[in-house]
Amino acid sequence: MEKLYIEPTKGTPEINFDPAQNLLILKGQSYPENAFKFYEPIFHWVDAYLEEVKEEVTIEINLPYINTSSSKCLMMLLDKFDEAYNQGKKITLNWYYDEENESELECAEEFQEDLTIPFNLFLVQED
Amino acid sequence: MLPKISSGKTAQESNLIYDDSTMKVIVLACLVIFLSVFLTGTLSYSIMEKAIVNKLKSQDLVYIIQSVTTKIDERIGRAKETSLVLAEDPTIVQWIKEKERNPQLTVYAQKKIKNLAEHYDYANSFIVSSLTNHYWAENGKIIDTVSPKDPDDSWFFQTLHGKKTVSLSIDYNQQRKDTFVFVNALVGDLNHPLGVVGVGLSLQDISRQFQNYKFGGNSNLWLIDSQGKIQLSEDLEHRGKKISEFIPAQIEKKLALTGPADSRPIVLQYTNSQHQIMDLIVQPMQSNSWKAILQIPRRENLYLLDSIRLNTITSSVFALILIILIFFLISKKIADPFKRAMLLNQELEKKVQERTQELREKNQKITDSIDYAKRIQESILPSPEKLSQAFSDHFVIWKPRDIVGGDFFWLKSFGNCYLLALGDCTGHGVPGALMTMTVNSILNHLVEEVPWDNPGIILEELNIRIKETLHSKSTESISDDGLDLGICCIKEKQELIFAGAKISLYVKKGEELQLIKGDNKSIGYKTAKTNWKFTNHTLAIEENNTFYLTTDGYLDQNGGEKDYSFGRKRFHEIILQSSAVPLNKQQEIFQEILDNYKQDQEQRDDITVIGFRVGKI
Repeated sequence: MEKLYIEPTKGTPEINFDPAQNLLILKGQSYPENAFKFYEPIFHWVDAYLEEVKEEVTIEINLPYINTSSSKCLMMLLDKFDEAYNQGKKITLNWYYDEENESELECAEEFQEDLTIPFNLFLVQED
Repeated sequence: MLPKISSGKTAQESNLIYDDSTMKVIVLACLVIFLSVFLTGTLSYSIMEKAIVNKLKSQDLVYIIQSVTTKIDERIGRAKETSLVLAEDPTIVQWIKEKERNPQLTVYAQKKIKNLAEHYDYANSFIVSSLTNHYWAENGKIIDTVSPKDPDDSWFFQTLHGKKTVSLSIDYNQQRKDTFVFVNALVGDLNHPLGVVGVGLSLQDISRQFQNYKFGGNSNLWLIDSQGKIQLSEDLEHRGKKISEFIPAQIEKKLALTGPADSRPIVLQYTNSQHQIMDLIVQPMQSNSWKAILQIPRRENLYLLDSIRLNTITSSVFALILIILIFFLISKKIADPFKRAMLLNQELEKKVQERTQELREKNQKITDSIDYAKRIQESILPSPEKLSQAFSDHFVIWKPRDIVGGDFFWLKSFGNCYLLALGDCTGHGVPGALMTMTVNSILNHLVEEVPWDNPGIILEELNIRIKETLHSKSTESISDDGLDLGICCIKEKQELIFAGAKISLYVKKGEELQLIKGDNKSIGYKTAKTNWKFTNHTLAIEENNTFYLTTDGYLDQNGGEKDYSFGRKRFHEIILQSSAVPLNKQQEIFQEILDNYKQDQEQRDDITVIGFRVGKI
């Protein structure tokens, strides 16, 4: 399986999904003009990945800002992991947030409510 | 494929080949070439000049002066020998002793001096006896009897008492316009000489040879004696004059410094009153105390340089023309592709302009279209009059990120009761606006069919109908749209019932701020469950109550130092701090604070904030 890497832009996050390490990183702001268009290839990749993955998977998310349509897409994405988790795959989600950016934690908590996978919230420390 | 370049040249095209910068390069290059050729020429000329002057001073002039002096020295040397041989001839000595009385010896002596003059190239030859004072000349006759009283004969008595075996005396003959050098030898004992014999040389022939050494009409060759008197010159006029008439005084002083006869000649240089550089070379003679001086104007000396200068200039000009010609040809070769590139560039520029124009027109069309859409979207929003009817005081900030947007608000009256809704549909711009139109229409119908004073039911029903409308046909479609909505039902200015789908109601009661959270469920999305019961919150309205509704656009606007979202906390603070202010003023505060926070950042999402009061004020 090939690695999925999408460079970050002003309105889209960095996607760094590495099947070799089973580490999936999503980092940056997400408010593309067409969120579905941006997330669609990620859905397909994740579908294929979840079918063949055997090892434990770690997802790392750090989203300073996510607009409504992106959050719908992210929800759809995380639902796929949730489903896989419920079918017995080992998946952990680590969500990083900055205390000063209050909407980050709010957003994370909303996702946490709707998911069953192990969900860890980490406070990002200032340098 | 390169675009085809038309062969017909327009004025503009040909201008392109040699535009300003090309011309500058050519002019600059020509200047550089000219300068370098000029420098090379000047440099080689000056090096040549230096070398030639150097050679002239150290070799040519020295050679000339030495040839001249050697010739004269040789001539005088030979004359000295001849005089000595004559003086030591025993027959002659005997003849003088016998006071020239022996006729046989007289014939011998006559023959001897005659022979010297005739065959050995002497102008004179003579024997003067101190016993008889007879002066025997080369013609074999006594031409004079010397007398101490005659000043013309003083040379004889001076020589006689000079006690020098050989001495020279110079006689300038006015009649013959000739200088004679007499070489006198004493006969017999130095202390008691019997007489003086010798030969006379005319220097006319030497003088004639001077002409051969001359370079041009303005050069001079002089022979001066120890007193600075010109004894010999190729120019007869100079003879007998002082050297100081012909050279500057300071140079004349230097002449006196010339060393002994065997030293090298000295070379002097000065600028005369006509600003000509003059070279002067001085060589002391070996045979006497005279000096030979050669004076040559530098210009004449360097007649060779004139031809070198001419050659240098000719070859420089030739090289210049050749280089410029080659450069011109090369630059033309270079200019050709350059011209092609320029034309190509022009062609592309034109294309870009066309495309830009096309895009501008398309953009204008789209903008016009969206502007029109904005008018339609605005037409579904409640008018200020209607809002004023419903509320005692209110403000609305409605700022779509683009011209139109997904945020909308909605008002419907039922007698003295009002339903106010604030919605935020997914997306912004045109897609968002289309959603608002749909939702607006559904809402309008819906409230006729369900109990209008139950916002929870309205949300629930709206959810079902939107899902039906948006997703009935395309269950497989990946698109998933919906909205957040908050609804307030205001009954008789007494009671407010609120239900929210991810939109909250802020109630300012005096100094307190109450947040009434909507349910954490959106409406219309595929995942939204149709059986969700939205919570109704019922409040009694008090006179000092101010209510606020906002979509997430205001709260999520990025800015500040770290470029984070504005956030709910700051929003709360604004409400708390501006409670005493009339709502139209609060609108300004809300806008100003957000603008300050946002700074140069773009608006991220559609923004809508509504504030209203119901009480009788």
